[in-house]
Amino acid sequence: MPLTITKTLARFEEACTVEEALPLLEFLRGRKTAKADLSRCTYLHSALLQLLFMGRVKIVALPGDPRLARWIGRLLAGGPAQNGPVGQ
Amino acid sequence: MTTLLDRFIPESRDCLDSATAGLLKLERNPADDGLVNEVFRSVHTLKGASGLFDIPALTRLLHAGEDVLGAVRAAQLPLDSAMVDLLLGALDRVSEWVDSLEATAGLPDDADGISAVLSKQLWALLPSSTGAANPAAADCMDLAPPPGWLADVTASDRQEALNAILVEGLSLHAVSYTPDDGCFYRAEDPFNLVLQLPGLLSLTLVRRDAEGLAEADPFRSALAYNALVAQPRSEIEHLFRYVIDQVVIAAVPASALDPACGDKSMAMPARPSNPVVAGMILAEQRRIIALPGDEASLKARLTAVEATLASLLASLDWTAPPGELAAAAAEARIGEPDRLLGLIAALESHLKAVPGDSDPVAVQASRRAPTAAEPKHQGRVLKVDQDKVDRLMILIAEMVVSKNSLPYLARRAEDVYGSREMGREIKDQYAVIDRLAQEMQRAILDVRMLPVSEVFERFPRLVRDLSRRLDKRIELKVIGEETAADKTIIEALGDPLIHLVRNAIDHGIELPEHRVDMGKPEAATILLRAFQEGDQVIIEVSDDGKGIDPQAIKQKALEKKLISQDKAESLSDQEAIDLIFLPGFSTAQEVSDLSGRGVGMDVVRSAVEKVNGSVTLASRKGEGTLVRLSLPLSMAVSRVMMVEVGDGLFGVPMDGVVETVKLPVERIRRIKQAEAFVLRDAVIPMVRMHDLLETPRRLLDEILEEAVLVARIGGRTVGLVVDRFREGIDVILKPMDGLLAGMRGYSGSAMLGDGRVLLVLNLKELL
Repeated sequence: MPLTITKTLARFEEACTVEEALPLLEFLRGRKTAKADLSRCTYLHSALLQLLFMGRVKIVALPGDPRLARWIGRLLAGGPAQNGPVGQ
Repeated sequence: MTTLLDRFIPESRDCLDSATAGLLKLERNPADDGLVNEVFRSVHTLKGASGLFDIPALTRLLHAGEDVLGAVRAAQLPLDSAMVDLLLGALDRVSEWVDSLEATAGLPDDADGISAVLSKQLWALLPSSTGAANPAAADCMDLAPPPGWLADVTASDRQEALNAILVEGLSLHAVSYTPDDGCFYRAEDPFNLVLQLPGLLSLTLVRRDAEGLAEADPFRSALAYNALVAQPRSEIEHLFRYVIDQVVIAAVPASALDPACGDKSMAMPARPSNPVVAGMILAEQRRIIALPGDEASLKARLTAVEATLASLLASLDWTAPPGELAAAAAEARIGEPDRLLGLIAALESHLKAVPGDSDPVAVQASRRAPTAAEPKHQGRVLKVDQDKVDRLMILIAEMVVSKNSLPYLARRAEDVYGSREMGREIKDQYAVIDRLAQEMQRAILDVRMLPVSEVFERFPRLVRDLSRRLDKRIELKVIGEETAADKTIIEALGDPLIHLVRNAIDHGIELPEHRVDMGKPEAATILLRAFQEGDQVIIEVSDDGKGIDPQAIKQKALEKKLISQDKAESLSDQEAIDLIFLPGFSTAQEVSDLSGRGVGMDVVRSAVEKVNGSVTLASRKGEGTLVRLSLPLSMAVSRVMMVEVGDGLFGVPMDGVVETVKLPVERIRRIKQAEAFVLRDAVIPMVRMHDLLETPRRLLDEILEEAVLVARIGGRTVGLVVDRFREGIDVILKPMDGLLAGMRGYSGSAMLGDGRVLLVLNLKELL
């Protein structure tokens, strides 16, 4: 399962496609504060990025891939952008 | 701006014409590097020039075409017919848009969409790696102004962008990508597409609406992506080639990144798009050198300054002595910046000497269209509006007419005032003016002469398109395209010729397999030949197709009741073939979309006859058909014979006049209502002009002989009875206009030397 939902945390694993958008939205709708763990995520579809962005989801862990981590970290401000690995 | 546009329109048409012609040649001869270059250059020039105007749809489409041609030129892409179709289609669009630009100073509303679709198709042809390899595509064009969101880019991103440029000398582009709502359904993934951008320096997301999560549709794209990219435009466009209509790419000039927002020690990017920016960069370098600081930071700053200056020198084509910059920088590092400052000062004065640096349009023009400007000026061809030439011709014509009044004046001097000497002097002066007027007339007619290539040019394209559509193989040969004729004649030729060529392709030429069965080469030949014969231009359209079957024509004419059975049997083959010129005749079994314009050969004939030309057709069944148009070289001056009928003076075009006869009344024979007479063993029907023109008959008691003008009209000889013959004169025939325009029977009017108006008859219409 690319997306695993626990109480307040959405865990993204490997390639997360547009299929996960609906479950993610359900998860976000129900909560005031939501967190996302992307540490094992290798691919994040725009639809998911969009939801994370719109829901101001706190990113607790950035992906391992440095390029992905860099841009997700920067875009989803409020997340650990400064701590994330920077550089191409 | 209007005048620039005025110049752009004819130039762009020239470019389009040469690109189209080049493409057609190229298709047949794909290995010709010269041709590829020629086509590429035309498109490139046009694209460059179009950048001066706010017409991004047109520019983008040309850009796509240029990319494809660039790939062909670099031998990365083999040229095939489908590609030529696409390119020609694109050029057609551009040509329509140029027409629209001329008419409305803008593009049609659907231009953006069409441009996006066509460019996408063109870019799809490119092998994926060509973008960067294509030098022409790499040049940056400011299709759109730098977007407003640049101001929101964080200072650190800004600096990163500038640093990257400083070191690598890359061009900077702002990419505004707004995916449409439904893009997820098309398996598009905007975010990951953007991440694929090499040289991505900054990325920000913008929500397109304020919709909250509660009502959000997760499958609707609701973000826009704004990216700052250090990559050539072509590379970016290539990546976004499938969504190019949703992307706006703008070159970011150094000035758009306000240096005040950046770090104090930061150097400006070097790659100035114009001398003004270059000047700003130099001033900044001067400031950086002067900044206080410790030795380490000074060294770092000087390295940056040296790099900036190096790329600035390169971009300005400045030829400083080699090593000069390095030496100056080395001196500066040990605390002696004078030599470096001197270099900067020298650069600054060089910049001031660059012409037009206060005129952004001129700068853009010189930067973008150097290939357009240089070769064109060598020929010193002056482009003049046709209307001006026409006006000049009318003026000269009027002068020719008014000089004709001098002989009248001379006669009056003699007869009325009794001064022979005065009369002779006037005649002397008249001779001089007459000679000058004739020379002027010849000169202006020369100006109006156009080569027939003006009309022939469109045929390679027509033949190619039609033959592809009909699966016929056709070789078009053109001979004598430099033959010139008056502009009116050339213009009148267009439609008839198109019809003849279409006819040849559609009806004349057989399918390749039939041709092979007949023992003919698979590819048919259509020959367009033009040459001059006396004062006539002859244009021949011939094909080696199946020819015309006289029996089939007779049959058809009988079915359509155009001729009687008796007549059909008495017709010779040639006469039978000529039946196709009859109005209402069409041999095609069904009307195809090619000849389906309702134009028959009769229309061709009447169009040609309108400019005093004639059409003949020769054909042999199974061997081909030849249509021959003969047209006068010029129709500005016509020779007419003046005749008096009743109180009026009329002109009869000289080319129809056979002879003039004084006929004793007793030789006139009455056959029922009609009259006729015998002239050299031929019976010639007579027509009384009084009746035709409805002028009162002159009432003379006794007419002993009639003045008969024998004329040939459409192959028949007729005797026209007039009151009196007058001399033949050269006149400038002006067509009837205004209320008289539709009047039948007259081909026009001319002014006589004594101020009277001469009506010139059109005998064919009259009888």
